[in-house]
Amino acid sequence: MVFWSAPNPTQEKFWRTMAQEYMKDHPGVQVDVSPMPESPSSEAGILTALASGTKLTASENVFVGFGAQLVKSQAIVPLDTLQGYSDLIRSRKAEQLVAGWKFPDGHQYILPLYSNAMLYAWRMDILKQLGYQEPPRTYGEILALGQKLKSKYPDKYVLARKVLVDPNSWWERWFDFFTLYDAASDGAPFLNGTEVVADRAAVTKVMSFYKELDDKGYLLTKDATDPFETGLAVWNVVGPWTLPYWKEKYPELKVGDNVVLTPPPVPDDFPAGKTPKTFADSKGVVIYRNASPAEQQAAWEFIKWVLSDPRHDLTWLEMTGLPPARGDLTTDPVFRQYLAQNPGLAQYAGAVPTGVPPIQNEKFADLYTLMGERLMVPVLTGRKSPALAFDDMKAAWAEVLKR
Amino acid sequence: MTARHYYEVRGWLLASPYLLYTLVFFAVPLVWALQLAGMDWNLIAPQRTWVGFGNLVEALHSPRIWAAFVNTYKFLVLFLPLVLALSVGIALLVNGLPRGGHWFTVLFFLPYLSSGVATSLVIQGLIAVNAPLNRWLVSAFGFSPPWLESPGWATVVIVVLIAWKFSGYYALVYLAALRSLPRELWEAAALDVPSAWQRFWRVTWPNLYPATFTVTVLATGLMFSVFTEPYVLTQGGPQLATHTWQLEIYYQAFANFRAGYASAVALLNAVATFAGVAVVRWLMNRWGRAHGFEP
Repeated sequence: MVFWSAPNPTQEKFWRTMAQEYMKDHPGVQVDVSPMPESPSSEAGILTALASGTKLTASENVFVGFGAQLVKSQAIVPLDTLQGYSDLIRSRKAEQLVAGWKFPDGHQYILPLYSNAMLYAWRMDILKQLGYQEPPRTYGEILALGQKLKSKYPDKYVLARKVLVDPNSWWERWFDFFTLYDAASDGAPFLNGTEVVADRAAVTKVMSFYKELDDKGYLLTKDATDPFETGLAVWNVVGPWTLPYWKEKYPELKVGDNVVLTPPPVPDDFPAGKTPKTFADSKGVVIYRNASPAEQQAAWEFIKWVLSDPRHDLTWLEMTGLPPARGDLTTDPVFRQYLAQNPGLAQYAGAVPTGVPPIQNEKFADLYTLMGERLMVPVLTGRKSPALAFDDMKAAWAEVLKR
Repeated sequence: MTARHYYEVRGWLLASPYLLYTLVFFAVPLVWALQLAGMDWNLIAPQRTWVGFGNLVEALHSPRIWAAFVNTYKFLVLFLPLVLALSVGIALLVNGLPRGGHWFTVLFFLPYLSSGVATSLVIQGLIAVNAPLNRWLVSAFGFSPPWLESPGWATVVIVVLIAWKFSGYYALVYLAALRSLPRELWEAAALDVPSAWQRFWRVTWPNLYPATFTVTVLATGLMFSVFTEPYVLTQGGPQLATHTWQLEIYYQAFANFRAGYASAVALLNAVATFAGVAVVRWLMNRWGRAHGFEP
């Protein structure tokens, strides 16, 4: 069988290690692991492989939106029809997790592998110079921080994020819009089938917050090299993959010391003491239909073997730094010691239950691009009010969804 | 076999590798693209929805397509005078060098050989808001230009970068043209026109018309296929100010997985390129005839 890992050296290393161990225990089975093409995108790489008949049995790195497209194209196998599926989910304490991955036809096509519940990082060293002992929690508090920051450091910004005004980088909407929307709306759905059911008030609050940051000069949307890391900005949305990057390139940044991780900020009227929801950049494993039944079965046996042993998940965590999609990540003793040594990662692990997966629609790229074009850019360039821009975006989405 | 028949067969045989290449890599994909342009399909779904001219109609109503169309000419208007001035300048500079000066031609040609992605990334690093250049501009003048954040500046950055890349290449065309002009022309010009500046405008520049024709047509075609620089630097922004045909084809095919629609855009791009180049050729021919050049 041919298994494609994500185009990330650490993930590739994990799957190669697993394949070697598996083949030692199962002579006669051949598992070929290779990284999926990264350019132009891993999704495009998979589609190209399927279109050209490239041998591909299973892969990781599939999120629910792309999964929806693969389901619509009848390209992947419903995993819940395979023997041992329920036992595997039970062993991972992932019954609640997979509920959000169920497709409209009632089947489970993707086995969640990891869940990156996004958090926000604060430059606590700079905040302390402004008299803060705790990072801000609400939009109002962030705007107040902006005022203090600008009066002491006119050249610094609260947030530096050029991609806010780049509609073509559609995946950035997960991090700059949905992270705040999921928090403000307490995880309210954005799309139901082909109908936009978003919490209008939450959308307006999020976009008004961005607009106010921009209007007051607290937001930078220009090209800047590592603005958070260099101290040009004091706040940024970060995933767990950022921690190894800091370790290697900015070792002076220490989580829990000069950098603090928090859940997403919330509107001022959000109940104090309630943990906000956040966007979860979650991806999983699929098996492709164009493989022969024997190859599909071999792939399933391999996947089951890898994902039913928590020690393999610990290896995954150690190698990749990405929290495995398990319901017992913070309670299972297998992970306790490692998470205790990595407080930043422990925070991400703890946030997994608050993670909301992406919208489940095969036209995801079109929809997110339109969100950039009709909502983010018009609001941040002052061309439209948040409410009007949202109405425009809804109308544009409706056009795409009925196509 | 008659001699004529023999020569015909030999001719076909000699031409067959290229004919085969054209068939496999041009004719078949073109027919396939025409077919694909009429479908709503992502290349893997079992069902292919036939939409006829639906993709073309949708493209013609898309602000992204019109942005690409307008931006092509906006780039061309800025790029053409800049690249002509640079390439003629380089050619004159190199032409005036003593023996061994051709090595300088190679140096000017190097940007053309360098990777567009690499040069774009270098520029991106140079003009980042917290890069030394902007820090110096702010400390010296109190401001730094919004390099990639304003539609005007972003266009200028991309045009200058492409002009830098291609001026050495086009300079070779001008250098060949300069070296093909008869010596007597220079000698006569030196006697009749004392000023070097006037000699350039009255003698050199008009006689470079064939080279200018070639460079203008090449540059026009190039503006319809700009991709790398905006892809790396601006992703077509801000507000579609640097969006191009190739970016749109790429985004639709590889980000939105709409192979059918992307094919329709590619066909529109081909028609727009053909028409654009035809108009520029016609204008250049008109200008040439008016100045005594028979195309």
